[in-house]
Amino acid sequence: MHLIKQLMAIPGVIAAGEFAYRGDRFSYEGALTSEFARMAAILCRSNTMSVNMQSEIFNSFAENCGCRPAQGWIVRGANASVCNVGNYFAFIENRPELLNDVMTILRAKVGDIGDDLLVNLYAKIGGDVKEALY
Amino acid sequence: MNIEQLMGLPGALAAFTYTDKGDLKDHRIREGTEITSQVLDLLAHSCVANMAVATLEARGWEALTGQKGFEPLQGFSMIGLEWSAVVNGNCGVVVKNRDVDYEITFNAIQSCQA
Repeated sequence: MHLIKQLMAIPGVIAAGEFAYRGDRFSYEGALTSEFARMAAILCRSNTMSVNMQSEIFNSFAENCGCRPAQGWIVRGANASVCNVGNYFAFIENRPELLNDVMTILRAKVGDIGDDLLVNLYAKIGGDVKEALY
Repeated sequence: MNIEQLMGLPGALAAFTYTDKGDLKDHRIREGTEITSQVLDLLAHSCVANMAVATLEARGWEALTGQKGFEPLQGFSMIGLEWSAVVNGNCGVVVKNRDVDYEITFNAIQSCQA
């Protein structure tokens, strides 16, 4: 089953989606309008790039410290949370055990994110990645 | 919950407290890990920045979409290859991804007194 559908099948998942490259190429399911999903994709892509940069800085001070490359991030809100692993995101309610379940599925299905995040994100929309980026 | 109790969380590798500006106040690092106090200091600064950005995003999102439930934020986690940093307020904890229970860790960090 596709990861987004798998996530949406879990009670308490509000929306789930996938983004690529600049964040403006995306697909999603759930309780978001297309415009809000576009905004969510850009927001998630931006935060992903930010934590990736931070992990590079940490690693430059303590090589092999276990932080690099960044795999994702979580924002825990009062009643809802946003989880992001690689180029997948999920908006979820704060229900008991839901965060752990969603993160387990995301980490298992997305797998470890490789060294070059931008290549990883760009590769999701196909094409000659090296030619387009360098 | 204090820094010693944070070290008792499943998979805890380090725990730390920091000022509102992100300067490291106190920390514990489990022996044998590659994490250093310098990394924790940088991490603490990034925590303050990430919480501020996440608050901006949550507030903007709620105002724009009408979807409520994010504010006030209860924490932020940065997930690395081998460990995750979970932070809120003036406390943070680094936990092994293999052993982490995010629910327990976020609940613990919310009750941490720096």
